[in-house]
Amino acid sequence: MSVAQAEAREVQLEAPSGLWSEAWRRLRQNRAAIVGFVLVGIFLTAALFAPLIAPEDPRGAGVDDLLQRRGPACCPGPSAEHLFGLDEQGRDVFSRVVYGARFSLLIGIVATAVGLSIGAVFGAIAGYFGGAVDSVIMRLTDIMLSIPGLLLAIGIVAALGQGIWQIMVAVGVTQIPIFARLLRGSILATREADYVLAARSVGVPGRALLGAHIIPNSVSPVIVQGTLALATAIIDVAALGFLGLGPQDPATPEWGTMLTNTTRYLQTAPHLALIPGMAIVISVLGFNLIGDGLREALDPRFRGRA
Amino acid sequence: MLRFIVRRLMLLVPILLGLSLLVFLWIRALPAGPAQSLLGERATPETIRQIEEQYGLNEPIHVQYWSYLKTVGRGDLGTTIRTRRPVTDELKERFPATIELTFAALLFATLLGVPLGYVAAKRHGTWVDHSSLVVSLIGISIPIFFLAILLKYVFAVKLGLLPTVGRISVLIDLEHPTNFYLIDALIAGDPEAFWDVSKHLILPAIALGSIPLAITARITRAAVLDVQNEDYIRTARAKGLPPRTVDIRHIFRNALLPIVTIIGLQTGLLLSGAVLTETVFAFPGMGTWLVEAIRQRDYAILQGGILFVSVVFVLVNLLVDISYALINPRIRVS
Repeated sequence: MSVAQAEAREVQLEAPSGLWSEAWRRLRQNRAAIVGFVLVGIFLTAALFAPLIAPEDPRGAGVDDLLQRRGPACCPGPSAEHLFGLDEQGRDVFSRVVYGARFSLLIGIVATAVGLSIGAVFGAIAGYFGGAVDSVIMRLTDIMLSIPGLLLAIGIVAALGQGIWQIMVAVGVTQIPIFARLLRGSILATREADYVLAARSVGVPGRALLGAHIIPNSVSPVIVQGTLALATAIIDVAALGFLGLGPQDPATPEWGTMLTNTTRYLQTAPHLALIPGMAIVISVLGFNLIGDGLREALDPRFRGRA
Repeated sequence: MLRFIVRRLMLLVPILLGLSLLVFLWIRALPAGPAQSLLGERATPETIRQIEEQYGLNEPIHVQYWSYLKTVGRGDLGTTIRTRRPVTDELKERFPATIELTFAALLFATLLGVPLGYVAAKRHGTWVDHSSLVVSLIGISIPIFFLAILLKYVFAVKLGLLPTVGRISVLIDLEHPTNFYLIDALIAGDPEAFWDVSKHLILPAIALGSIPLAITARITRAAVLDVQNEDYIRTARAKGLPPRTVDIRHIFRNALLPIVTIIGLQTGLLLSGAVLTETVFAFPGMGTWLVEAIRQRDYAILQGGILFVSVVFVLVNLLVDISYALINPRIRVS
């Protein structure tokens, strides 16, 4: 190593670590968050590589007589041949659960993205402009929040009809007011901060102020909430599916839909309920753990510790 | 204090108006249109025109909204398509069931969550604290309907300890003057019926109360930890007050503020959760009512039910705010 290289390394080491790199460092030291990453990793792997992992078609295609295969009693439990057993239609539960991860991930991400982007825009407008604009937007969020979340989603699905897009919209809309309020509150707090005042006093123009100082410093709660919202979205999608408002085609391997009729077979085939249920718990727990870890990692009060 | 309440009541007006407008527009956004939605399967071009005349659906939209407001204001939510009974009549049977369930769930969550959080805070950093955090995290991550199915499996199917469907056994004969079955049983002076109704409530209440339990425990823990480090606690200890007195009179009382708020804020969660819990246990409350209404496209029930639940939710939040201001004088001033 040349002297220059050694010096360069030293300089790098001495550079003050930024918020993000430090948050990342702290996140990696948080054991709960690591567990979260592992759980989410399992979920993502299943979702991305479903066709490679699942031994059979999730809808049971390619098997001649599904009901024959299931046998007279419902339903054969886990075996060497079918890792998680068969369902009441004779389909391979393992394949269905693996493909189900795709639906949950896709719907969860799109729904959260819808809620986050629309909510964040309104929240930023309300927080930055204040005054009448702020009051109008905040009253609108009050109205939306006054309908319990699941009922709002049910109402939207009833109006739009059943289907994947409709579920994404329904779940996303319920998250709009939450993100709007969060970003507004965060911007209001940042707007009055000393460093913003300092930037303003040296003549930084409004747009640069918003883009370079206010928004970057207001986003960390939004990132935390975004992770937690993914968990909520997965649960909400499953809840709609469980209530029979999931994708129109009941053969769709959606975790909540898979749970719908299982109470009938609890006595003989509890695996039908346990397996999709555990899949939901694992992915939701994963996102919740990461969200909690992020909250601690991004909280300036914890900076420099641990 | 009075001024605070008046101001909060004034804020309620735009919310309620907006809510009614939302529900009003929603029914018009339905794929079938309001007349067909009201008629259901029986819709023919003539009956649709008749309904449109009868309900003034051919008038300009703002006139329609005004007359809708007047009807709802009179407490008329229309008639159901399925049974042709007034929606409010069915509401009177369904709503008490959900209230009874919600109350039981809240009781379970509070009676268990507050001590759990308190103990966790007192034993901060020990295994008790860590395990309470893990339990509450898992509690938040289990979908309510999955937990309900699990409880049903363990306690009803495997152990056969508790009933799994409905509010009361068919064999029990009970008059229902209030539709709150527990109160009905008390009025009738029938301990057997009371015990039976309670047994039917246990599993649904645990399922519905699990998330509030987890949240209450977390908030209690955080609140106690916060208060514990305040200067006035150190002062109280320094002047030699017995530790128990400090714990109860100073720490717990001050920690109560966020706890009360969070318990109140659970209402929306509970009302959403009730839809799912009731479905699993075939509990005849608002939740199963609304879900059946969706399956049968009974929009009159959906419209009235969602509006009613939301108004209840708004009013509960108002009560929470007012009681919060009563407990905490600092709120009133600002």
